[in-house]
Amino acid sequence: MRHRSIISGEGTGARINVTPMIDIVMVLIVFYLLVGQLALDRKASIDLPQSRTGIEESAEIDPILIGVGANGSISINGEPIANERFAGEIAGMHIRSPNTPMRVRGDREAPYGVIRPIMRQLRDAGVSHVELMTEQRP
Amino acid sequence: MSSISDQPRRSRPLRKRNVLTRSSRFGPNMTPMVDVTLVILIFFMASATIGGLEWFLRADLPKEQDPDLIDSGYALPTPMLGADLYMDGDAVLVTGIGDKPRALASVIAQISAMDESDAQGLILGIRARDDVPYWAIVALHDAASARSMRVAIR
Repeated sequence: MRHRSIISGEGTGARINVTPMIDIVMVLIVFYLLVGQLALDRKASIDLPQSRTGIEESAEIDPILIGVGANGSISINGEPIANERFAGEIAGMHIRSPNTPMRVRGDREAPYGVIRPIMRQLRDAGVSHVELMTEQRP
Repeated sequence: MSSISDQPRRSRPLRKRNVLTRSSRFGPNMTPMVDVTLVILIFFMASATIGGLEWFLRADLPKEQDPDLIDSGYALPTPMLGADLYMDGDAVLVTGIGDKPRALASVIAQISAMDESDAQGLILGIRARDDVPYWAIVALHDAASARSMRVAIR
């Protein structure tokens, strides 16, 4: 009685079928990407207000994203920043690239008391207009 | 016991191998590529659904003007409507549009009912008190933008 090879093949034609392994690996990658994205959103915890009108994003120039949470936390391009450092940071960015659009991602429940200082500091930095990010209302 | 070499050879004509058979046997295995493509497709579909589609409203940030200029009536190049938002309990009220304070929904309805040719060129200046939620400002901005009005956050 001959033992069959573990690889199941005999002779030269035997090889491992890697297709299921690739499937599983890809599914795992997708799973972790999705979970990571969800975790990031939760971390940012910004629920945008909805609007029926708006301008679609264009990829001509990468905008500067200013996140404002409901509790007044501020972030620039996803990086949290202390409120007292915001004015200097944004002024420097505007001087370096004056044509870069400023997009404000404000939480819909944020009181205007936390948004107003952002607007004032943007105005003081020489920014003449901002883009208020919203979610498309279905 | 006879070996294979001892058996007489069959006298049959040589058969040409089918081209399709050859290519399917020796060609690249497409299965993993199809799998990967489908998974990437599903990923992008799922991320688009989860993320929701975003866009933006443009708002001007006018500098505070000299009060004397504002009083003179020559400070603003185009007609400006001023809307001041404040809270009354849980309700958002608006002053500046109409004679007396009105609910935000009523003001939005009035703006939405405006003729676009009349509204075009107008600037809506929005001012809000500290406790007004951000969504109320965006809702007013949205209504004004739908009528082709420019909006300034003051």
